[in-house]
Amino acid sequence: MHYCGDYRTSYEKDAEILQTPFIKVCMGLFLAFLLVLPHMLKGEYLWILLQILIASIGAVGINILTGFTGQISLGQGAFLGVGAYTSAYITAKMGLSFWVGVPAAGVVTALCGMVFGIPSLRLKGLYLAIATLASQFILEWIFIRWEAVTGGSYGITIPRPSIGEFTFASDLSYYYIVLAITVLMILFATNLMRTRTGRAFMAVRDHYISAEIMGISLFKYRLLSFGISSFYAGVAGALFGHSLKFVTSEQFNIEVSVVYLAMIIIGGLGSIIGSVFGAVFMILLPKVLSVVTEIVQADLPSIAKLAIAFEHGIFGLIIVLFLIFEPDGLAHRWKMIKAYWKLYPFSY
Amino acid sequence: MRKGTIRIAAVVACALFLAAGVATAADIKVGHLADLTGPTSSVGNPYAKGIQDYKNYINGKGGINGKKIDMLMFDYAYDKNKAINQYKKYVEEKVVAVQGWGSGDTEALTGFVAQDKIPYISASYSAHLMDMSKAPYNFFIAADYTTQLRAGLKYIKDNWKEKRKPKVAFIYPNVPYGIAPIKGGKEYAKELGFEIVGDEEVGLKAIEANSQMLSLKSKGADFAWIGGTTPSTAVILKDAKKLGLKTKFFVNLWGNDEDLFKMAGDAADGALGLQAAALYGENVPGMKLIKEITKNQYQNTHYVRGWVSMMVLCEALKIADKKGQLNGPGVKAALESIKNFDTGGLTSRITFDPKDHRPNMSAKIYEYQKGKLVLKKTIELPRKMEWLGL
Repeated sequence: MHYCGDYRTSYEKDAEILQTPFIKVCMGLFLAFLLVLPHMLKGEYLWILLQILIASIGAVGINILTGFTGQISLGQGAFLGVGAYTSAYITAKMGLSFWVGVPAAGVVTALCGMVFGIPSLRLKGLYLAIATLASQFILEWIFIRWEAVTGGSYGITIPRPSIGEFTFASDLSYYYIVLAITVLMILFATNLMRTRTGRAFMAVRDHYISAEIMGISLFKYRLLSFGISSFYAGVAGALFGHSLKFVTSEQFNIEVSVVYLAMIIIGGLGSIIGSVFGAVFMILLPKVLSVVTEIVQADLPSIAKLAIAFEHGIFGLIIVLFLIFEPDGLAHRWKMIKAYWKLYPFSY
Repeated sequence: MRKGTIRIAAVVACALFLAAGVATAADIKVGHLADLTGPTSSVGNPYAKGIQDYKNYINGKGGINGKKIDMLMFDYAYDKNKAINQYKKYVEEKVVAVQGWGSGDTEALTGFVAQDKIPYISASYSAHLMDMSKAPYNFFIAADYTTQLRAGLKYIKDNWKEKRKPKVAFIYPNVPYGIAPIKGGKEYAKELGFEIVGDEEVGLKAIEANSQMLSLKSKGADFAWIGGTTPSTAVILKDAKKLGLKTKFFVNLWGNDEDLFKMAGDAADGALGLQAAALYGENVPGMKLIKEITKNQYQNTHYVRGWVSMMVLCEALKIADKKGQLNGPGVKAALESIKNFDTGGLTSRITFDPKDHRPNMSAKIYEYQKGKLVLKKTIELPRKMEWLGL
């Protein structure tokens, strides 16, 4: 018999991520589902699934910075690019393996993010947003002009990872690598937010003056937040580059930064699971819209042309409606659903 | 009773399904990614129409050796992600080739088409898509941007009468499409004996180019190459006229077409336009069929290139089908066996080689004269191997 309410008897129990056997079983099943899922999907949907995983890492990254530490960033797209180019350079031009390239991409992007994070000591809110926007433009300019490293307008062709003789050439095999990395990185982020560092991030976000009075070094934690966030972006960018096997500057423009910001707003600021929800939502929505348009096209060809043209508008409209009716993001809705079933049928 | 109806319905449905399956099995599946509603739709529409019209014409004549071409157009609105999703779908449907469109998506798909062994004919003519080590399955039907730029430079140099070196500048947007031909172009300009006076950046969405034109004026450029799209070219030409520049402009293939007159007015006069295909209504043998199919409705030059692009693919499909190799590698081999293919004067003759996918080395040079495009010359460059991919 399981009673309503929290009955924890030790600190260890209180600190567990998966607190009840039921949740453990559910998570196990979900993971098993993720392992089987690609076998049930056709190529196009498998590709979308792959992009969702990669976007989840990037979204968790920007959520650490924006959602948890309260530093707005409009440079996520460019940081993804730094990661992609770093890994591309290491694997394609230096001939080292993917297993070196991806962590190195994370580290290089983290350093790069920290450099651009230095203004965060002095700047807040909108001012910081503009400073990070500048990083977006500067980095994009570097991508296209620093030909020796980035290949300039020619881009870089990069290989898929391999172990010994086996190459993860198919989307299916590559999916498992990405899945493993995603799970690890999400677990790390979840744990990070329960540590001293994570609490410090939230203190900085909620009231930076109080945080400073409590002895939290603003400079250290803001910079650290930029570093960790960029590390995630770098890994996501590298994984994206290897998934596409080609990197050019056009893939990492301001639009990408905005999409990532939208992901965490829709998913839920300051929530790891929200970042994942946001990634799922933002990657799936265009596909859903185009499927709907296709159906409309078949039945009502006269308005099809209009529907395709309006796709972008509908996309925007859905996001606006979302923000009005679900301002706390999908993570909040998820919490409500869980709470409902936890207390079911006695919701008082 | 009800059960009976359901059973009959089920049988009929099965039969229809099988019939449909049989019918499609004999068809040749080809993919087509087009931009009909996105940022490049103004030129994407006529190009896509050219492709589809030629397909319909061939199907109307009985198809490829009796097999119909099943090629549904997909509007990806210049969105790379959509293009990749759709491409993955095409792979599943086992297409034997894809007609593509823009630079971003063609480049993004380069690795995939090489791995999946699906020939990809694009309308992005970046020279690096001809780099066989990177893009073994990419094809296109016009001379690449750099070759066209070289042809323009050669034409200018051939007509240069003064003793001093002609001064040339380069105007382009800071995007891969704009930058791609600059390196090769500058090298050739030096080789020909030009004095390169500098670069100017004008974005694709620019609404004015005053400062750039003033800088061009102070540098005293005799010639300037424009690598943008038609709207940005119009902006440059208008501002140059306003500031009284003496510079003569020569414009990349996507930066000039019949619409330039509408956008730039008489500022377009005297500009040179580099092209790869004949204009609508030009007196060449291949135009007769186009006029017939389009019922004498005017189409711009991009339509003609779309048409030729499908023409070349159909030729390859015919060859591949005769050999019984209607699959990706088979169509690639067929494309590579095409030698001196006559497009009826719509473009220069097209040749593909297993080691060199450059269709030809020629560019048509038109001059804009009072609302008319006048063909000045077709420049033919040598097929130098060191230019491959540059």
